[in-house]
Amino acid sequence: MEQTQVWKARSLDELVQLLHRLFAGDEVNVEEVQALMESYESNPADWAGFAQFDEFRYTRNLVDKGNGKFNLMVLCWAEGHGSSIHDHTDSHCFMKILQGNLKETLFEWPGKKGTGEMTKKSERVLRENQCAYINDSIGLHRVENTSHTEPAVSLHLYSPPFDSCNTFDQRTGHKHKVKMTFYSQFGERTPYATAVSQENN
Amino acid sequence: MEPLEEAVGGAAAAVVLELPRRERGAAELAAELEARRSGETRRLVLGGRRVSGPLPAALGRWFPALEVLDVSGAGLAELGAALLALPRLRALLAKNNRLGGPGSLPKGLAQAPLGRSLRVLNLSGNRFAELPPALLGLRGLQRLSLGGNRLHSIPPDIQGLQSLEFLYLGGNFITSIPPELANLPSLSYLVLCDNKIQSIPPQLAQLHSLRSLSLHNNLLTYLPREILNLVHLEELSLRGNPLVVRFVRDLTYNPPSLQELAGRTIKARNVPYGPSDLPENLLKYLNLASNCPNPKCGGVYFDSCVRQIKFVDFCGKYRLPLMHYLCSPECSSPCSSASQSSTSQSESDSEDEAIAAAHRMQKVLLG
Repeated sequence: MEQTQVWKARSLDELVQLLHRLFAGDEVNVEEVQALMESYESNPADWAGFAQFDEFRYTRNLVDKGNGKFNLMVLCWAEGHGSSIHDHTDSHCFMKILQGNLKETLFEWPGKKGTGEMTKKSERVLRENQCAYINDSIGLHRVENTSHTEPAVSLHLYSPPFDSCNTFDQRTGHKHKVKMTFYSQFGERTPYATAVSQENN
Repeated sequence: MEPLEEAVGGAAAAVVLELPRRERGAAELAAELEARRSGETRRLVLGGRRVSGPLPAALGRWFPALEVLDVSGAGLAELGAALLALPRLRALLAKNNRLGGPGSLPKGLAQAPLGRSLRVLNLSGNRFAELPPALLGLRGLQRLSLGGNRLHSIPPDIQGLQSLEFLYLGGNFITSIPPELANLPSLSYLVLCDNKIQSIPPQLAQLHSLRSLSLHNNLLTYLPREILNLVHLEELSLRGNPLVVRFVRDLTYNPPSLQELAGRTIKARNVPYGPSDLPENLLKYLNLASNCPNPKCGGVYFDSCVRQIKFVDFCGKYRLPLMHYLCSPECSSPCSSASQSSTSQSESDSEDEAIAAAHRMQKVLLG
């Protein structure tokens, strides 16, 4: 049995380099990636350039394209900002807190009947430097910054990369496909054509 | 934090003074600040551990160019009169302190230079049980945050803050919204999440600049149909409200009185009448007739109307339960022209449900 390697990333740059190594092959060792993401002690100086906030909603700021194997991005959540309930288009999703706290609520997939309030499985508050993992077989989730005083920043890795997913109406289970966009890429602001939010909250 | 940088005009590192985080008594703080006095400093950050006592009175003399003062997390119970002497303060960040008691804010804010210059005020994470009336004198205020306090209401006089663009009131105990809030012409971001709000006044639809409205985690069961008029709205959060999912008709409809029925007939048939025909009280009564909002119905109602909740697609994305007032249960409900695309979808859905309505209504209302 292969031993799980334990790496320590001392900076965001080093984290990116080590991630490239971990994703060089075809297989993804989820435990190794999660341990590596957790090992990086968040240093705001590393990521301040990617932390571009929007007044109205959370932002996705691309950091690295992982040679096509993954997307690494910084998400910025001002006070009260949250996502819809969404899936992950058959990809792995790692989420590490860089600053503040985020509440993650897990939901069951809606039943085939399709209507009726969605079922909450669990919820937890993720603290600085913790790294959570989810994929479609685990379920769906909603992520929110429930603080009214502190903004939150998180680092997300998706493998393989995807640019659309489904959002779900909590009251009815109805789903709606949305296209995901980047607020900035590699530190540079990249506005999207449509201003209107795609998410149903 | 772009908007804040705008307020400062992008202050460069040389003009930012950030004191190291540690506990310090009032005298020690004063000495430290005096030692670092500068006519160049535009941004002063005092955040961190406890500062006992109000800010030193001479602050404005030591830092005459100060534009941004950040005293978040300093454990302050009062800000002190030092604020009044700051000649050009644009942003005051005082979150996570112990403000809220009488005297937290100095008297005379409106008359001080601050009254005209202040653009940004963040008092989130304090203990305010009411929005301090002194704040209403800050005429130039564009961004106000009182998130995570203990507010039970919003004063109607908030309409005096005519420059307000951003208002964050999430995480309080607010039970209702005054219609006067709608008189803020520049309001584009309104956060009311995590409160105890049961209904939204229809006047809020007059907030033409509103682009983002946060209402999640409240006690809303429906929304007024006027919300359809907020065509510039890009963000709307409604989760965590007991919004009615099924088509509900108010079962407590009281049949109209004979007076009402007579009044309706006179209005509907344009029966002519004048002061010589009717006593004054009936003339006044006839003038109170309201038009049924159903455009296909030419009828009127006086007191007796049916509240009806109808689901309408809003900007083609959300199915919101909206309140309609109709003249009678038989009046079929209007669907506002402001909703787009899936109108027919929601209409037929509601009609299907209406057919089986009776039994399910009871279940919804009792369940």
